[in-house]
Parts: sequence; structure tokens; C-alpha cells
Amino acid sequence: MTLLELAFHFGILSLISVGGMPSVMPELQRLVVHGKGWLTPDEFIQAFAVGQAAPGPNILIASLIGWKVAGIPGALVALAAICGPAAVLAWWVSELWERFKDSPWRRAIQRAIAPVVVALILSSGFIIATPASPDWRLWLIAGLSAAAMLAANVNPLWMLAGGGILGAWLL
Amino acid sequence: MRQSTIAKMDVAPPKHLGELFTGFLWIGARSFGGVLPWAYRTMVEERRWLSHADFTETIGLCQFLPGPNIGNASIVLGKRWFGLKGSIVAFLGLMALPFVWVLALFAVYNDFAYYPWLNAVVNGVGVAGAGLFIGTAIKLGKVLVRKPAALAIIAACFLCAAVARLSLLYIVPVAFIVALYAARKDWL
Repeated sequence: MTLLELAFHFGILSLISVGGMPSVMPELQRLVVHGKGWLTPDEFIQAFAVGQAAPGPNILIASLIGWKVAGIPGALVALAAICGPAAVLAWWVSELWERFKDSPWRRAIQRAIAPVVVALILSSGFIIATPASPDWRLWLIAGLSAAAMLAANVNPLWMLAGGGILGAWLL
Repeated sequence: MRQSTIAKMDVAPPKHLGELFTGFLWIGARSFGGVLPWAYRTMVEERRWLSHADFTETIGLCQFLPGPNIGNASIVLGKRWFGLKGSIVAFLGLMALPFVWVLALFAVYNDFAYYPWLNAVVNGVGVAGAGLFIGTAIKLGKVLVRKPAALAIIAACFLCAAVARLSLLYIVPVAFIVALYAARKDWL
């Protein structure tokens, strides 16, 4: 039953995840922490941290949630569900996209999606940095990490490492 | 510029499914800190499966589709080279090792999670990850700051999603339709 629930909810998330995993973090947290109570707020941010620090697509946070909920089968179902519907769509659309290269609709869609994706990614960052009531220490770490990323073109693992050190010191 | 012309001369798609699989396995295996740069290095610079321009075009498409960008790229490229079989093989190759590693890392972490200092470190890492999202949003948003309609859409979505905590299941479709209307009116 839990596996079916995972598959259903993550499958729907898959279809609205324009811009990838960062865009659906607000909905994922709403669902997993507040809606279903599968993870505590702390566990959620820890799963997110592990997903960021480990190599690989960051969508793998879905399999960490699935694993918490229903073990290895949960991990597999969660990953398949969050990638599957989007993958099917990509499979069908890739040819169409090529064919409509010069269509004004294609350009309109491209331009329409940009501000939506920016807003969703910004919301994700804000929500993860504000798990409960606003905490200046969390905002400081997030702000420094964002500033470092914009100022220097280095591997993001450096920012994550810096966040870990600041976390040990401040939190 | 010069690099892309060189790359264009001698690109050749993978010859068989095994090569496709090991290529994506290799991308997943070493993609510390983000998959995209490693995908570029493996497919464009090392194995020369596709040109710089082709890579950029494919990623551009995948960023507009729902789903993980690089996961979609594995589907699209796999399809182009070997059809449905190619899509499945590329996707499985990409995910196989990171899947094992992320679960192993999380399992190890859970065994030590009762140390408060480790909790603090991991929370710090998570929040720094949130900072990277904010940085990404600013980077992507820079080209939009001169467009009032884009800023209005961003502000409205942010208020609905991050402050009011409404469901994205409503926000995304509505925001997209509004944005599409604005784009057709040439406001974006």
C-alpha cells in the first residue's frame, strides 16, 4: 500500500518537475513532511544534504525518502516513479521539439518556462533554509554559499564542505 | 569557439549498447558536485559522441521538460542512437552507481546520526545546498531583471510556493499559462 502511495504521489511530482529536482522541493517537503509524515523536518533536510553531497543526479533524494518509507523496494519505486512519467514525456517530445524548431510557440514556451523555473528554484532554496521559524544562522550559511557560487566558478562540493564546517561551529 | 569546430569534425555516436552503458556508468560514477560538467567531459571531450553545440541544444531541451535534466538527456540521447533500448540502457547506466552510493552514504549517516555534532555538520551541508539553489536562481534570473512581467511572475510564484506554501500542483499549471500568455504578448 505504501509502495502504491509512493508511486502515485511521486509520479505526479514527476510531471510538474519542470527544471528538475530543485523545482519540486517545496512540494516534496509538503508531501513527505507535512502531508504524510513520512520524515521529520530534520530527517528531510538530512536526506537532502546526503543527496547533494553524494555523486549523481540530485533527484536521488527521492530514493532516500523511499528507502526511509519502505526499504530497498521503496527506494526503487520512488526513483522509478519520479523519473518515469517525465522520461516518457521526454521520449515523445524530443522529436516534436526538433520538428517545431522555428515555431513561434516553441519560442513562447521556452520564454514562459524561464521565470517559473527561477521562482521554483528560489522557493526551494528558501524553504530548505527555513525549515521552521526563520533562523539567522541558517540564512547566513545559505547566503554565503549562494554568494560564493556567484563569485567563483568552482566545484559546488567546496560550498557544501564550507556549509558543513559552519554548521559544526554555529548549529 | 575553436574547440567546438574541432569537436564537430570527428564526433561519432557510441557503436553499441555496451559502450553507451559504460559511458553513462562512468558519468554517474564520478559526478561529484553535479552531473552536468561530467556529462560534458565524458560525452563531448573524451568519447566524442556529440559536438559541443549538439550537447548544449540537448541539455537546453531537457531543462524545459519536467524531470531530472541529465536523466532526460540520457533518455533523449539513448533514443537518438539506439531507440527505446538505448534510452533504457543509458538511464540505467547513469543511475546505477549513484543509487548505490547515495543509499550507502545515507545508511552510514543514519548509524552515526545520534552524534549531535554530525547532525550539525549535515544540516550545514543541507543549508549550503539550499544556498546553491538560491545562487542558481539568481544566475538564471539575471537575464530576466529588465522584464517587469517576468519579475511579477517570479514574485507571485515565490509568495504562493515559499510563503503561503500552496501546492505546486496548482501553482505550476496556472503560472505556466499566465507566463505563456505573457510570452505570446512579447512581454517576456
